[in-house]
Amino acid sequence: MASLSEEVLLVVKKVRQRKQDGTLYLMAERIAWGPEGKDRFTVSHLYADIRCQKISPDGKAKVQLQLVLHSGESTTFHFANESTALKDREAAKELLQQLLPKFKKKANKELEEKNRMLQEDPVLFQLYKDLVVSQVISAEEFWANRLGGVTNTDPAQYKYKQEVGISGAFLADIRPQTDGCNGLRYNLTADIIESIFRTYPAVKQKYNENVPHNLTEKEFWTRFFQSHYFHRDRINTGTQDIFSECAKQDEKGLKSMVVQGVKNPLVDLLSLEDKTLDEGYGVCGAQPSTSNSNRTVKESSNYAIIKRFNHHSAMVLAAGSRKGETPTDQASETSSTDGNSRDSDFFQPPVKKVKLQEEYEDLQQENRPKTVPLNLKKSDRYAHGPVPLQSQQYTTSQDIINSVNYIQHEMANYKPNLTQVLSSTVATSAISALSPGGVLMQAGAQQAINQMVPSEVQGELKHLYVAAGELLRHFWSCFPVNTPFLEEKVIKMKSNLERFQLTKLRPFQEKIQRQYLSTNVILLFSQWLRDWCW
Amino acid sequence: MSDMFIFMAQVYRELQPFVAHPEGGGHGVLEMPSGTGKTISLLSLIVAYQRAFPLEVTKLIYCSRTVPEIEKVVEELRKLMEFYSKQTRESNNFLALALSSRRNLCIHPEVSSLRFGKEVDGKCHSLTASYIRAQHHSNPSFPVCQFYEEFDAVGRQVPLPAGIYNLDDLKDFGRRKGWCPYYLARYSILHANIVVYSYHYLLDPKIADLVSKELAKKSVVVFDEAHNIDNVCIDSMSVNITRRTLDHCQNNVDTLHNTIHKIKETDAAKLKEEYRRLVEGLKEANVARETDVYLSNPVLPDEILQEAVPGTIRTAEHFVGFLRRFLEYLKSRLRVQHVIQESAPQFLKDIYDKVCIDRKPLRFCAERLQSLLRTLEITDIADFSAATLISNFATLVSTYSQGFTIIIEPFEDRTPTIANPVLHFSCMDPSIAIKPVFQRFQSVIITSGTLSPLDIYPRILDFHPVTMASFTMTLARTCLCPLIVGRGNDQVALSSKFETREDFAVIRNYGNLLMEMSAIVPDGIVAFFTSYVYMENIVASWYEQGILENIQRNKLIFIETQDAAETSMALEKYQEACENGRGAILLSVARGKVSEGIDFVHHFGRAVIMFGVPYVYTQSRILKARLEYLRDQFQIRENDFLTFDAMRHAAQCVGRAIRGKTDYGLMIFADKRYARADKRGKLPRWIQEHITDGSLNLTVDEAVQLSKHFLRQMAQPFRQEDQLGLSLLTLEQLESEEMLQKIAQVAHQT
Repeated sequence: MASLSEEVLLVVKKVRQRKQDGTLYLMAERIAWGPEGKDRFTVSHLYADIRCQKISPDGKAKVQLQLVLHSGESTTFHFANESTALKDREAAKELLQQLLPKFKKKANKELEEKNRMLQEDPVLFQLYKDLVVSQVISAEEFWANRLGGVTNTDPAQYKYKQEVGISGAFLADIRPQTDGCNGLRYNLTADIIESIFRTYPAVKQKYNENVPHNLTEKEFWTRFFQSHYFHRDRINTGTQDIFSECAKQDEKGLKSMVVQGVKNPLVDLLSLEDKTLDEGYGVCGAQPSTSNSNRTVKESSNYAIIKRFNHHSAMVLAAGSRKGETPTDQASETSSTDGNSRDSDFFQPPVKKVKLQEEYEDLQQENRPKTVPLNLKKSDRYAHGPVPLQSQQYTTSQDIINSVNYIQHEMANYKPNLTQVLSSTVATSAISALSPGGVLMQAGAQQAINQMVPSEVQGELKHLYVAAGELLRHFWSCFPVNTPFLEEKVIKMKSNLERFQLTKLRPFQEKIQRQYLSTNVILLFSQWLRDWCW
Repeated sequence: MSDMFIFMAQVYRELQPFVAHPEGGGHGVLEMPSGTGKTISLLSLIVAYQRAFPLEVTKLIYCSRTVPEIEKVVEELRKLMEFYSKQTRESNNFLALALSSRRNLCIHPEVSSLRFGKEVDGKCHSLTASYIRAQHHSNPSFPVCQFYEEFDAVGRQVPLPAGIYNLDDLKDFGRRKGWCPYYLARYSILHANIVVYSYHYLLDPKIADLVSKELAKKSVVVFDEAHNIDNVCIDSMSVNITRRTLDHCQNNVDTLHNTIHKIKETDAAKLKEEYRRLVEGLKEANVARETDVYLSNPVLPDEILQEAVPGTIRTAEHFVGFLRRFLEYLKSRLRVQHVIQESAPQFLKDIYDKVCIDRKPLRFCAERLQSLLRTLEITDIADFSAATLISNFATLVSTYSQGFTIIIEPFEDRTPTIANPVLHFSCMDPSIAIKPVFQRFQSVIITSGTLSPLDIYPRILDFHPVTMASFTMTLARTCLCPLIVGRGNDQVALSSKFETREDFAVIRNYGNLLMEMSAIVPDGIVAFFTSYVYMENIVASWYEQGILENIQRNKLIFIETQDAAETSMALEKYQEACENGRGAILLSVARGKVSEGIDFVHHFGRAVIMFGVPYVYTQSRILKARLEYLRDQFQIRENDFLTFDAMRHAAQCVGRAIRGKTDYGLMIFADKRYARADKRGKLPRWIQEHITDGSLNLTVDEAVQLSKHFLRQMAQPFRQEDQLGLSLLTLEQLESEEMLQKIAQVAHQT
């Protein structure tokens, strides 16, 4: 079982599991434990299977590490080496902390994908519930068809989903409230924390480093709000603050952005001037010097605010476009550094070429697709806010056109067939039957079916319909049956269908019949099903 | 479109006497909003003239301000030429090219990788100077620039083939042939029909002497984007000397001294040869003129070139001694405790009394230094910039007795405890630098989108225009909406004037205005402040009051800083944010780099807010001296000039948003002083005519209401048909009798 080719990252001796001494191995892809003196692992988990790790509190006598798997099982290791137990555990924990996130992504990718699809598509979710949860077909069967389709078509499609950007003012949303005794309360929501992490990766890193073992989450955020980092006008003075490093990193990031320069030559202020005056020439030689030494405290704090606002906006902007674009972004970044070195002038950035040729669209020949201009009868009304809507049933213009056409068509083809008219007595009785109070005008008879049946029953019916459609889709996709595999599948699908009818349709039908004797919807439905299948 | 023809009629009127009496000539000042076809009308009209009267108008020199603008002009020209060849069905033999600094044209792999213009120039010089090449001759392993060598060997015989050459085209051509594009361009402008370059090449005597000296007299010169032309003139003639400069210069002089000693031991003949040359006069010393950047020299009066260098500074040692004395004198002057202001003659008298330096050798100082540097074969000219600066100063101060002032300040006003003495030798008369241009060329056209009030330019530049006109836009829809916000919602008067500058109520109301606007204006908003200090203070108090946070709910905030690289980045991010629909606000400064060079077309600037009136810092002594000079010499009152200057900058700022007839934007002037007739009257006509009496003193809320209305209307689709016949003419419409009459009529009025 122990393949020797695996790279062992860490070996911890004297680790107990189920009261048995043994050795813990952390390898490249899994964690394993083998009892002492034996040559095989009794416990082995792929990192991908591990959901999280838990550690025993520091004060406890037993130094333990618990692994919780995705399946819900858990395994506990007890570090039993008296002198170094704590250190061993820390080492193992650290390593796991690094390893787990890598595998988590990999393993969960498919699961996430399925999850995402179910979340995004309520119909599919319902279908899943109807078919898989009730065990009409197995999950694999359900996914076999769909997932393949998605992954085959285009991975970009998945990325096409728009990322929700970050509000520029997420920090402003954390309104501090006085708690009555000389303190401030900040309310953080998960969204805000997410925003902070996405905008300031440095803070996230700090968080990962310090929480939960150095600080509790609460302490972490308390310090965050106390730091100069949050209060941008405070100047970075102390070094004991854990966020001073973040500030430095930000500074570095900002600087590297500045050094990298800009891609668009039209906004590059450095190269705008063709010939700058040499040093010493010019009138405004005595400009207020910009060096930091001459600045007063207030001025440099103002300067810090400006800088951080620029940085903040840049980060927010980057966070919005970061995901999904990372590879292209990198590519463009590397090319931009090339673009700055001057020998790549062979290839002028296309943006320059485009922008140099000023286009006046009003002078161009029009070749855009024609759009319908908004023709305002009363532009004032449009300009001065909305008019409260009357509650009306709107019909789309297409509907109206269709029905007009239809009526016209009907009228054109109408031919009174005078030879086959009813006799007057029959006609009279028919009229009396149709008049209010007549036989055919009894209450209820005229009610539309959709008014008769409560909406939940309708919903259920709809679900059943969709589910049946799905099953049939599976079923018919097997034809023509030309491989044994397909044959097998057809048989399976048939049994599935039968089961569906048994477990879903029949009860529903019975329910309906119990409640609404007069309707025969379900009959129609099962008939339809039968028609389709056989 | 119709504007273009009116405009062309005007230019035509200006050029007409030029053809009728070739000696007559005519200068003009024309204001026309940007995006209405100013460049293309000028180009097409002048090119038409060139084709019709090739002997009268031999060359068009088109000067613009920034590199992108230069390139845009060439692209327009390309379109024009394509149209010509399409219509006439023959290829014309026009040669048009752009010229820029080495930084933008160099193709030498090593040199062109340098980032700053100065480094590129220095490196290029160290590979192309005449004595370097001579050394290379005797010792082939000595590095030279093969592109220049190739150009020098064959490039001059074959003129550049006819065509339109933008900077990139020149580089391509250079690469194909293996010639240096920079020198090729500099050589080719002599016979090109159209030259497009930065106006420094014509106005800065240090460069003009090198590049533009031999351009034909019968040229038409156009200064585009010329609203700041007086400042360019003044900048190019002014010198500042600090202690650091003097220390550097001291080092330079020491180096010179040592080098002279060394050469004396090894190669005394060389110095003797130089002495002989100097006796013969400076004209002789111009053999290596083209490649040696040294010859940069502030306006040399012609008589100097005729004379021999005076005996006192003719030998190398004597000259170095002379420089030493001059330097010591300057050092002693910088040791002052109080501010001194004096004129050039006063300075000369003082220097004669104290260290016995005459006026005449001072005038030759710059030439003499260049000659010496050349003789000593010093490669790194960048190192000698301090000595060059000092010698230029010496020449300037002894040449001009008028139009300059010397101010020595022992410390900065804001930090009276830190000694930082500066000697400002500042030019107060822009006409000095531009005079040669007006004298030499027969027709000079000064044009820009914002030149109002027009009459002040001829006065400060000292010339007599044939035409002066301000054009407006014929608009199919009112696409600009100037609003003057004079009050906050609480009726507090809004103003950036000194007394209320720190007033919290004003700052809060300004913040309120920006916040409200950020909620209703789509995409980009640009806000301009009067100065960096003012902006920093306001931003800080907006931050404290939580206003910025509220603005951030609507848009991202980017702020210009004094660091150009940082600002470039902010600017790019700003555009990105406008582009991806998030919307952004750029806080910027009037007179800053952004306000002068960056356009905010379409969604990059849907609203411009001008917080306050951008007066120049009036406490500066240099400015005071200049104002005094303007009053005495040109009878321009201080206040008139200050207001003019403030308003042209304000117009420049708000004009950034409208770059064409399909563009639209709000222009918000947030200061109650704009409502006054003296301020309002100085705005360009095309802005002024859209300011209604109803929008003179709005509160923030009222402005928001008007803006909402305006933006909704503007957001409607705007098609070609809407413009046809009004601001856009078909050929038939143009040729119709009615329209021709109309154009003639309007052109006559203005």
